Amino acid sequence: MKMTSVKYLVGEGFKNTWVNRLMSIASVGVLMACMVIIGLAVLITENVNMAVGNLEKQNVVVAYMKDYNWALLEGEPTPAEDSTEEPDENGIRQSDFFIHNEEEAKALCDQIAKIDNVAEVRFISAEEGLKELQAGMNDGKEQSEIILDGDNPLSCSAEIKMNDMALFAKTVEKISAIDSIYEIQSQTDLAETITAIKNGIGIAGAWIIGILMIIALVIVSNTIRVTMYNRKLEISIMKAVGATDAFVRIPFIVEGVVIGLISALLAEGILYFCYRVATETIIKTLNTTDIVKYGDMAWILLALFVGIGLFAGVIGSVIMISKYLRKEGSEFAAI
Amino acid sequence: MEQQNLTTENVADVKPIIEFRGVSKTYVGGTHALEDVNIKINSGEFVFVVGSSGAGKSTFMKLIMREEKANTGKITVNGFNLTTMKRKHIPLLRRTMGIVFQDFRLIPTMNVFQNVAFAMYVVGAGGKDIRREVSKALAKVGLGHKARSMPNQLSGGEQQRVGLARALVNSPDLIIADEPTGNVDPNMSYEIVSMLTEINRLGTTVLMVTHDHNLVRDFNHRVIMLDGGRIVADNGGGDAQ
Repeated sequence: MKMTSVKYLVGEGFKNTWVNRLMSIASVGVLMACMVIIGLAVLITENVNMAVGNLEKQNVVVAYMKDYNWALLEGEPTPAEDSTEEPDENGIRQSDFFIHNEEEAKALCDQIAKIDNVAEVRFISAEEGLKELQAGMNDGKEQSEIILDGDNPLSCSAEIKMNDMALFAKTVEKISAIDSIYEIQSQTDLAETITAIKNGIGIAGAWIIGILMIIALVIVSNTIRVTMYNRKLEISIMKAVGATDAFVRIPFIVEGVVIGLISALLAEGILYFCYRVATETIIKTLNTTDIVKYGDMAWILLALFVGIGLFAGVIGSVIMISKYLRKEGSEFAAI
Repeated sequence: MEQQNLTTENVADVKPIIEFRGVSKTYVGGTHALEDVNIKINSGEFVFVVGSSGAGKSTFMKLIMREEKANTGKITVNGFNLTTMKRKHIPLLRRTMGIVFQDFRLIPTMNVFQNVAFAMYVVGAGGKDIRREVSKALAKVGLGHKARSMPNQLSGGEQQRVGLARALVNSPDLIIADEPTGNVDPNMSYEIVSMLTEINRLGTTVLMVTHDHNLVRDFNHRVIMLDGGRIVADNGGGDAQ
């Protein structure tokens, strides 16, 4: 296609948008509203994911190891006839427990780290465990010292973080299967809730975006339909003098693209303004800063809006024009 | 006249620009528009197509423009086999012909120059060519001075001359005029057919549908008469039967 034709066709597309300005403005309005709602759905999803992510970070699993303290409190001593080893003053033999020193405990942590979905493993010695326990108690160290009477009954443990909460139960099961682990403390309910929220948000978001995309397509198609109707004389003449389908189609596609792009830019501006006002209010009211910043999402949203605009513009025009391209001469008068 | 000589004696030497062989067309619903039509129109001829309403004239023209497809038979126009032609090649066929409509079909939002130039934009012509050829076409129909006028500022006859300029601007081999004098006064009708005759004299084949018997009588060209979807009279020598 020659440059003259391209200029002419693009010019015609812009001209059509202006000539049908009332319809174009209505289409831009509805398309923009669809984009703003889609953008809001994305921002809400991101914020929920951020909140859920924070919860996930807090949802650690603690695996307690079968060490000396475990043997002392919960283990079953080996019967004397099965062992040649002399027990210590507490009646515990070396063969009564699995983790005898810090090296073995750290080796067990490394073994856990290799399990699928395990993101991070931190070794906590019995002493560290006690300190953390004391720090977590309301009245601090003093009260716990009174209760424990100077003893440390805790076993050493591994603090485990996971990548995906959806695989929580399976991962816990794998860790439990290790002989040297005797107990796992976890918040299964929280993990299930987190997974349910994430799935729910994902499904709702996909539905919202899907439905709005269809609305966007219908809106642009209708605008193009009106343009087609207004230009049926031109199209019939174009076809009579030998215009190709592409030549007839291009101005309509340009019109669809113009509507789509204008809607995308306006949607970005409006969403930015609304989100800023909303987040400022939330920050003041809830005194939290755990909110997704618009700046972090601006380019993604703009790309999304432009994508939706182009998709709705091009596909909407193509669907509508293809329906009419097969009509000939006098058939146009009957449209 | 040169035209008369062409249609009677030298016809065997001239290549047919339009040829119908055993062409029938029945519309969905069962209306038989054309039945077993055989005809040859040679390059350089001027042919009137006449007949009462429902005789099949419109279908005959639509088949030539490939707005409709024949149910049976073979149609050749300007070297294109319309029977086997793919849809994507229809624009190429139409670029070899200029079409003049009864209702002018001028775009009301474009001026005279733009209406004529429109036909050149469609075929991808360049800006300089468009300016030159549109001016020439408007001069041919005597409207060079009205290039900037809008269609609603012109009389019916002038509007049809703009339509004629648009049909001519791409230098087609064949002009198809579907009752071009149907909406103009008698004086202007003569002027339009005179212009078409002049265009034909320069080598372009002209096929004109008309109801006006006076024009047919006064301009001594080949006449094909249709009735009930069949050719009932043809005073030319290009009949393929």
